[in-house]
Amino acid sequence: MNWFKRTSEGQSNDSLQLSRRKFLIGAANSALVMAFAPLAMPLNASPSELISEKRFSPSIWFEINKQGAITIHVARCEMGQHVGTALAQIVAEELGADWNDVQVKHANSDPKWGFVLTGGSWSVFQMYKPLSQAGAAGRIALIDAGAKLLGVSPKDCTVRNSRVVSGSQSISFAKIIQNGVFERTFTPEEMATLPIKSPNKRHTIGFNKAALDIPPKTNGKAVYGIDVELEGMVYARPILPPTRYGSKVISVDDSMSKKVKGYIGYEILKDASNWIEGWVSVIADSYYAALKASEVIKVKYKPGKTAHINEQDIIDEGHKLVNESSPGVLFVDDGNVDTAFEEADSHLSATYTTHTAMHFQMEPLNALAQYKDGIWHIHCGNQSHSLTLPAVANALGVSHDKVLVHQYYLGGGFGRRAYGDYAIPAALTAKQIGKPVKLIFTRPDDSKFDQARSASVQKVSAALDADNGLIGFQHNICAGWPTLAMAPPFMPKGKDGNHFDPFATSGSDHWYSIPNTRVRTINNPTAQATFSPGWLRSVGPGWISFGAESFLDEIANKIKADPIVMRLTMLDGQGKNAGHHPHSTHGAKRLKAVLEHCRDLCNWNRKLPQGEGLGIATCFGQEREMPTWIACAAHVALDKQSGEIRVKKIYMSIDCGTVVSPDSARAQIEGSILWGISLALYEGSEIKSGNYASSNFHDYTPLRMHQMPEMEIHFIESDEFPVGLGEPGVIAVAPAIANAVFNASGVRLRTLPMKPEHVRNALKKQNEVGV
Amino acid sequence: MIEFNLNGKTVRSNADSETPLLWVIRDEFGLKGTKFGCGIAMCGACSVHLDGNTVRSCSIPISMVNGKDVTSIEGYDDKHGLQSAWVEEQVPQCGYCQSGQIMQAATLLDKNSMPSDEEITAHMSANMCRCMAYSRIQKAIKTAAKKNQRTVSTFKPTTSAEG
Repeated sequence: MNWFKRTSEGQSNDSLQLSRRKFLIGAANSALVMAFAPLAMPLNASPSELISEKRFSPSIWFEINKQGAITIHVARCEMGQHVGTALAQIVAEELGADWNDVQVKHANSDPKWGFVLTGGSWSVFQMYKPLSQAGAAGRIALIDAGAKLLGVSPKDCTVRNSRVVSGSQSISFAKIIQNGVFERTFTPEEMATLPIKSPNKRHTIGFNKAALDIPPKTNGKAVYGIDVELEGMVYARPILPPTRYGSKVISVDDSMSKKVKGYIGYEILKDASNWIEGWVSVIADSYYAALKASEVIKVKYKPGKTAHINEQDIIDEGHKLVNESSPGVLFVDDGNVDTAFEEADSHLSATYTTHTAMHFQMEPLNALAQYKDGIWHIHCGNQSHSLTLPAVANALGVSHDKVLVHQYYLGGGFGRRAYGDYAIPAALTAKQIGKPVKLIFTRPDDSKFDQARSASVQKVSAALDADNGLIGFQHNICAGWPTLAMAPPFMPKGKDGNHFDPFATSGSDHWYSIPNTRVRTINNPTAQATFSPGWLRSVGPGWISFGAESFLDEIANKIKADPIVMRLTMLDGQGKNAGHHPHSTHGAKRLKAVLEHCRDLCNWNRKLPQGEGLGIATCFGQEREMPTWIACAAHVALDKQSGEIRVKKIYMSIDCGTVVSPDSARAQIEGSILWGISLALYEGSEIKSGNYASSNFHDYTPLRMHQMPEMEIHFIESDEFPVGLGEPGVIAVAPAIANAVFNASGVRLRTLPMKPEHVRNALKKQNEVGV
Repeated sequence: MIEFNLNGKTVRSNADSETPLLWVIRDEFGLKGTKFGCGIAMCGACSVHLDGNTVRSCSIPISMVNGKDVTSIEGYDDKHGLQSAWVEEQVPQCGYCQSGQIMQAATLLDKNSMPSDEEITAHMSANMCRCMAYSRIQKAIKTAAKKNQRTVSTFKPTTSAEG
């Protein structure tokens, strides 16, 4: 269940797609192959014939060779989350595999894999059921064949450590494959009813397995996109125009470049899709020569219309829009908000701002493009073949079947490598010069071509009755929309029938029971015109929850309630917040449980020294349909002189249902807590004259080791359906810090990042008014 | 022509004398474990050892390594205690910065066989990890240090300066 699935017609995601396919088990090249296949298949052929003659295009399959090695094909990319290991654990569990026999292979962009996007914290959530069923089907086939060879009834057999076991006898998978006959087809209905192991019988899911991608990442052998070389390739560096859109090259003077040894020439890139405009590519026989030549080449432009736009213009536009009477798209509309506000005894409202935030993934953008035998081969790490391939094909002006994208390890994705537009300049250069081209962005080039998290403005208002009961809640949120820029067909419709970006909206549809609630989600046209807004790890909830969860503390302060007690009262799990089976079973009550857990974990009511504070916030991950229940407490110390906020400790309680890979899950939370702090305190850029002001690690400064606080992380034990973990740990950190700063000093910070000068200014104001 | 020692082998390069060592190691000698991150010595992904000290190969012109010893991650050939500690503590996420992290950590342990948390933090804050796997980097350095001590006291008690 995710936005891409819900909103795309015909291009559904794999769990939906697989539920419409049958499952084949047969032998091919003396290996046992298990594959999902279309329902419409030749009737006169056996599964083995179909598989070995490649008479269909199988998806999500795994195979066991006659030595017993199990290869699981993973249509997801590896960008630090160890997803291959987690998905393989799911198959291995049901199959009864010995973990030492398991390896994974990452898929290329063959359309047989369906719509693939590694992002949204979706992978385990989407693949858990189909992979469990596929593993179970494989187990049944192995037991049937193994039982025959042992001369026993399949009913008396189990699987363990890659062996079929019956009493004191057993036979290895390898032996079974060497001697057994496999012809088995499961209908979708049969697949749906296959017995899946009960949690107490598991041996792989929920256990720590060493991540399969880690050893090559400790010796330099892991191959990232930037490491790929091809015979006859040349190097290129792009020169980016003064504005993201609408720039035109007027003239190029490369007389100085010609003096650089190894310089080959330049190309003004012609993009048939106009996604990149006014780009020049500098080509040389080494990357250093391309760099040197590009530094002395002179390009004259006619800049696009946004060359004068600054961050403040975007923020001003946001302020204007959130204050209109009914702007944007209606996303949540429960009860009657207008009546609630009219009848209220008192009101409260606040406006929150977040500044432009960037990816700065460690591996600068790059791609290698080669035209061979009628096909464009694109070599680059990317999070989505399904978004990248069409982008490249459209830019080249060729049909989609003429492009093949090859996958590698990603030196960080975080959303920047979902829409792989960085392959476009490589492909266009290769097309224009007729040679394979490796195009590498320098770090400043990468920054300039980032798809940043847009600056945002949100206004939150509350209506309170005479007893200080929260009877109305209105949330207007405004930002640049990534999905509008990069994948507009995936935008769903709001309550008023207008399309909106769920990745700039989700997070506002919270699980607190408030009788009258309205959310309006608004596109910021100035942001949209100036740059390509992007999906940044934790997307909408990453900044929307900063407003919502800060505001809850502002309400608690106004009505003199404890912010945890107030939240717990609203987490009653009633009505729409009751949740549904299996994805959000028990609904808001699980959020309540993690909040209570975190309250105790951080020892909430303890006395802290002067200038220190604890703050709390909750979140439900990326989407209501895939809730990852999290409560976070931040312990901060404030230096009132310098205004510096120091995070001493973060406490986090997480209920993500079944934890497939516990140690990798913890690693994701460790990293995302630090991301949360980094985005809250240290990361923030701005738009300056139509571009991002930050260019490299000297002026964009994500958290480093000396800024890392202590972390106490607790996963709630659960057998519920597994949900997402790659991003949710980021979300609640910023509001927890802001709430802690308030509790430490009475200063309410409503801007991200929270900088020392914000604290100093607020404290100064506090002194002036004598609070 | 510049000649230097790369991972124990003498190599020669005709690259322009200003060419950063990074590109010579990666593209001329094909050792891709050393990574390009920022180009201005701010992130540490390109860290290698030059005569036993960690340097940022993106900012060292090839002319400066003439006649010197250069070690890249490949030079460890999977035998450095930090590499096994990195696996044991499951440090890498995306992994792109980790060659540089290991090279940076190695010179810390060379000079200080049992660094404190503060010493590790001070030394390692020079390196960026965008996945922010910092707590595991810290842990793995301590694991490697402890193992190293045990190895030293078991097998070479008399030759260990640090005990």
